Amino acid sequence: MAAYMLCRRTAMFCWAIRGLSSIKSYIPVSAQCGLLQQIAHYNPKPLKLNLKNPYIPDKDSENTPEWQKTAKYDRKLFGRYGFSSGVNPAELWPSHAQLEEMIAEEREWNPPLEVLLKNVEAKEMEANAKRLAREKLIAGNMAKMPKMVADWRREKQEAKLKLKEEKARRDRLLAEARERFGYALDPRSPKFLEMVSDIEKEEKRKRS
Amino acid sequence: MSFTKKPGGKALDLLQHLPRITLGNLRPEPGTRKPEKRRGRGQHGGNRSGRGHKGERQRGNRPRLGFEGGQTPFYLAIPKYGYNEGHSRRPQYQPLTLRRLQYLIDLGRLDPTQPIDLTQMVNGRGVTIQPLKRDYGVQLVEEGAGVFAAKVNIEVQMASEAAIAAIERNGGIVTTGFYDPRSLAILCKPVPFFISGQPIPKRMFPGEDMVRYYTDAANRGYLADPGKIQKARVALAQKYGYVLPDISKDELFHMLSMRKDPRQIFFGLLPGWVVNMPEKKILKPTDEKLLQYYST
Repeated sequence: MAAYMLCRRTAMFCWAIRGLSSIKSYIPVSAQCGLLQQIAHYNPKPLKLNLKNPYIPDKDSENTPEWQKTAKYDRKLFGRYGFSSGVNPAELWPSHAQLEEMIAEEREWNPPLEVLLKNVEAKEMEANAKRLAREKLIAGNMAKMPKMVADWRREKQEAKLKLKEEKARRDRLLAEARERFGYALDPRSPKFLEMVSDIEKEEKRKRS
Repeated sequence: MSFTKKPGGKALDLLQHLPRITLGNLRPEPGTRKPEKRRGRGQHGGNRSGRGHKGERQRGNRPRLGFEGGQTPFYLAIPKYGYNEGHSRRPQYQPLTLRRLQYLIDLGRLDPTQPIDLTQMVNGRGVTIQPLKRDYGVQLVEEGAGVFAAKVNIEVQMASEAAIAAIERNGGIVTTGFYDPRSLAILCKPVPFFISGQPIPKRMFPGEDMVRYYTDAANRGYLADPGKIQKARVALAQKYGYVLPDISKDELFHMLSMRKDPRQIFFGLLPGWVVNMPEKKILKPTDEKLLQYYST
């Protein structure tokens, strides 16, 4: 409890804890200029605690239902009737075993602030790292793009040229065949192929 | 002819000479009471009684809302998308306009000379919070920032930037604090909780999704660093173009600087205490383990 009396952090504002005044039945309001005083008469609903004839169940009798012998009901009795209900106030708080359970549950489901912040930071770092990696990959690939585009274009052009060349060669060979045999020869026939192989041999001889 | 006006003037004169007000002397303001529509009476209201001519309209057999005569209706033709998925699990924050806040203060339902908390707002019937319907508190909205002129120390669960600016411009303080559902229910209805005889629980910290919001000084979070909050106040004043008033010179400085501890639900009551309503006493635990648990 003393921890609360000291400031937890060096505060600009003083975080002193003051007691609440007793429950007011009216709320006096004074405007800051001090000229008007508006008072709202707020009448709270009367609290009917039935203190004159309280029902306090008999713990020993068998007729009282089970739920009226539980600790929860005892707390409610104390809350309504106070010390005259015959409940030991020490039983209002959890026992040591129950306290252990509560602490374990809290540790699992409601970790302290430092752990929470660490988890949040870790998650954020992970997400950031992932995002950075992805962006790096994209940037790297984009940097490669002009070269890849140029390569592809070059390849396409080469293929086109090759095709043209091939066509020109075939036309030449056809013309040659036409010249030699005197009629349009089918390029798939064996005569044509013979002629093509002959021409190739002559060219080889010329080169070597 | 005397030049001094007598106080009250014509009104007082009337009051002295007119007869006393009775039920026979009163009449409602013209236009406030419209006579109700009576169907099936008179030349124009009778005959078909405004139901039209034959068919489903007159016979009261029209199909259900949305039916389009057999064509696939609009509400079925549009494909589903997860806009509303998990809507019932989303946290809700009841909006509180600055205009309403000013209205409540003017009527005296909220006391600006004391810190304004969700309990005070609920007591003054300013807001209605349903903790069981996934309400996580109240959010401050900037509508009415032009008319707001009250110096308050207010604690809400969320606040927009302009609302924070409007309150700080008038010399007040805003804090955003998180209440888990159990603490919120206790905060909204403290008396039934005290009658149940349980010790006041600790306020739990926000989950991983909200902890960033409440550690941020720009939102005046209750977990944020007070030094950063002061800097944020100055920065906001520069952004919105007003002179930040110096609170430390104020007569109500002590009240304005009252803030709750992150584990505290009520001002002046610490977790672990039992409030006894019939005898008006507070019981505090003395066991070491309990004390250690309740002080974290």
